[in-house]
Amino acid sequence: MNCLSRSFRAVWWALPTLLLGVAVAAEKSAPPLGLPAAPVPADNVMTPEKIVLGKQLYFDGRLSADNKVSCASCHDPAKGFSNGEQFATGVEGKKGGRSAPTVINTAYGTLQFWDGRAKTLEDQALGPIQNPIEMNMTLDAVIKKLNGIEGYKTQFKKVFGTDVTSDGIAKAIAAYERTVISGNAPYDKFKAGDTKALSEAAQRGQKLFFGKAHCSACHAGPNFSDNSFHNVGVGMGKKDFDKGRAEISKLSGDTGAFKTPTLREIAKSGPYFHDGSAKTLEEVVDHYAKGGTPNEWLDEEIFNIKIAPTEKADLVKFLTEGLSSSDYPDHKAPELPK
Amino acid sequence: MFRSMVFLLCGSIALTAVAQEAKPTAVLSGLNNPCGVAVQGATGYVFIADHKGVHRLDPKSGKAHIEISGFPTDIYGKGPKYNIGPLGLAFWDDEHLIVGDGSRPDGEELVRIYKVGKEAAHKDHEPIKEDAAVATLGPIKASEESAKGEGNFYGIATNGKSIFITCNGDDTKGWIAKSTAAAGKPGALKLSIATKVATEVDAPVPVIFSLDGKDLVVGQMGEVSTPPGDSLLSIYDPETGKLKKNYKTGLNDIAGLAYSPKTKKLYATDYSWSAPKAGGLFRLDITGDTIKAVKIASLDKPTACAFDKNGVLYVAVFGTVAEGSDKPAGSLVKFDSGL
Repeated sequence: MNCLSRSFRAVWWALPTLLLGVAVAAEKSAPPLGLPAAPVPADNVMTPEKIVLGKQLYFDGRLSADNKVSCASCHDPAKGFSNGEQFATGVEGKKGGRSAPTVINTAYGTLQFWDGRAKTLEDQALGPIQNPIEMNMTLDAVIKKLNGIEGYKTQFKKVFGTDVTSDGIAKAIAAYERTVISGNAPYDKFKAGDTKALSEAAQRGQKLFFGKAHCSACHAGPNFSDNSFHNVGVGMGKKDFDKGRAEISKLSGDTGAFKTPTLREIAKSGPYFHDGSAKTLEEVVDHYAKGGTPNEWLDEEIFNIKIAPTEKADLVKFLTEGLSSSDYPDHKAPELPK
Repeated sequence: MFRSMVFLLCGSIALTAVAQEAKPTAVLSGLNNPCGVAVQGATGYVFIADHKGVHRLDPKSGKAHIEISGFPTDIYGKGPKYNIGPLGLAFWDDEHLIVGDGSRPDGEELVRIYKVGKEAAHKDHEPIKEDAAVATLGPIKASEESAKGEGNFYGIATNGKSIFITCNGDDTKGWIAKSTAAAGKPGALKLSIATKVATEVDAPVPVIFSLDGKDLVVGQMGEVSTPPGDSLLSIYDPETGKLKKNYKTGLNDIAGLAYSPKTKKLYATDYSWSAPKAGGLFRLDITGDTIKAVKIASLDKPTACAFDKNGVLYVAVFGTVAEGSDKPAGSLVKFDSGL
């Protein structure tokens, strides 16, 4: 990249544009193939400095009580921005009751967490820090700790014009998370006309996905999520099952309903479901093929589907081959402020 | 590192605004989950579909009688749950009313056409039985295109040549079904436009023709369990089914659409499932690729709407049943001409 284009880029970052009440900033004119532009809230404009700061905070264990657990501990780029385990693991090895949802393309989500209790990424960012079985900190303690680190203090001054604040922490982490994007997958290339982008098995799986297997009833749109909440009959056999979205919405119809996760990069982010109960995508497909675990709140989109073993394999092939991008955001931990 | 990132919100932009709110007049109360409204052009009678059947209202006297009855009951939702019966209404011609079914399981539901005539119902009026239609379309059974078969026929638009009906049975494709008339009679009901494939958003609900009759105008409800403002206004070519235009409206759950015959303006109702206080009647002002939704009145879960020829707008309202009550809370309200 020459100096001219570099400075043009910097100008774009530094001069966020206000368009019809929505703040936008662009580094390049087109989003990844297959995805629309990610929405950005007007009060948290993306800047390179803010994203760098947010990435440091995301990877920094000092935001936790034992200085060991960071956002990246449970949302690890090397593990599909999840943690590869059934449940999220917090300070002192404490286990949560739900799996760690991927951060990939969460910029496109309308509500955050499995139960949608956070309305924005900014709202979401402070939750795990204060959760006693995740990072187990108070906001006051985090702010005090980070204000004691000169590197953070300097960067917060530069980015927000203040010392470290909870608002600044939330905005910086959210800004970084909005850079965790995966598009331009073989599925997108195939859809755009590259007939060789998908193997024959993946093409058969794609047809099943959007047809007989009924997956796209919920895994819809460019991010393969309708951003809604569904009871798909997972974990419903237990006596004290997780009520999911109903705990937030207070609607009985939301009982046992959880947010539809994106399927992009799904091969990397197992185990699957909100309770991490499916170790493999084959198990996931088997679950849906049998129509989930019957319960009175089961979504009407979930029902027994007659699907042959070869078709199951094709479906998994589509998910793993078709939705894994060569542009995977394989972020590495940055050098942390001292 | 971030070279491929783009943070530009583009495409059609939706804005919402609030005008000085208009006040509706209650016309009919005690309705049970009303979902369909149609005005008979020649007489001005207003037909309303609710769980119990189809009612005919004489707006001059304010009296209403049940016109078509005997529908089975289906339950919509998992909590809250709603009893539903007939849903969409539209007039095929001056005397024949098209009724979309929501009273049976998907794959068994029907679209029926009844001769309702032009005479006012009276107190001894014997309702038409649900199965005494002059024509029955459907069912649309399970197939490769629709896993469980179609149903919940909510929105109906007709130009006398074709009938378009929105289907809410199969969430995978979001079908609009079509019946093409031959020799004055409606033909078989067939799956026609896969709106979810075209727009990547759930649930076509209201459908009307544009004022010049050249376009099909569809309200795409979007997800009901969240209020993300994801409802779309989509324009299709009725002949080819091709999507011509797609607007973000910023509304939560569009449930009704109607053009004012006087001002030519377009109005939409927003049911707003998960945030009912945000719902109501809106005017949709279209400029280029942008829609500005201007709130005209707050309403408690409005559904279908229809203008009479004088520009009076009738809106069906679900309402909220008081806790511990079993009295139906649905109503029909009107906005006097001027919209």
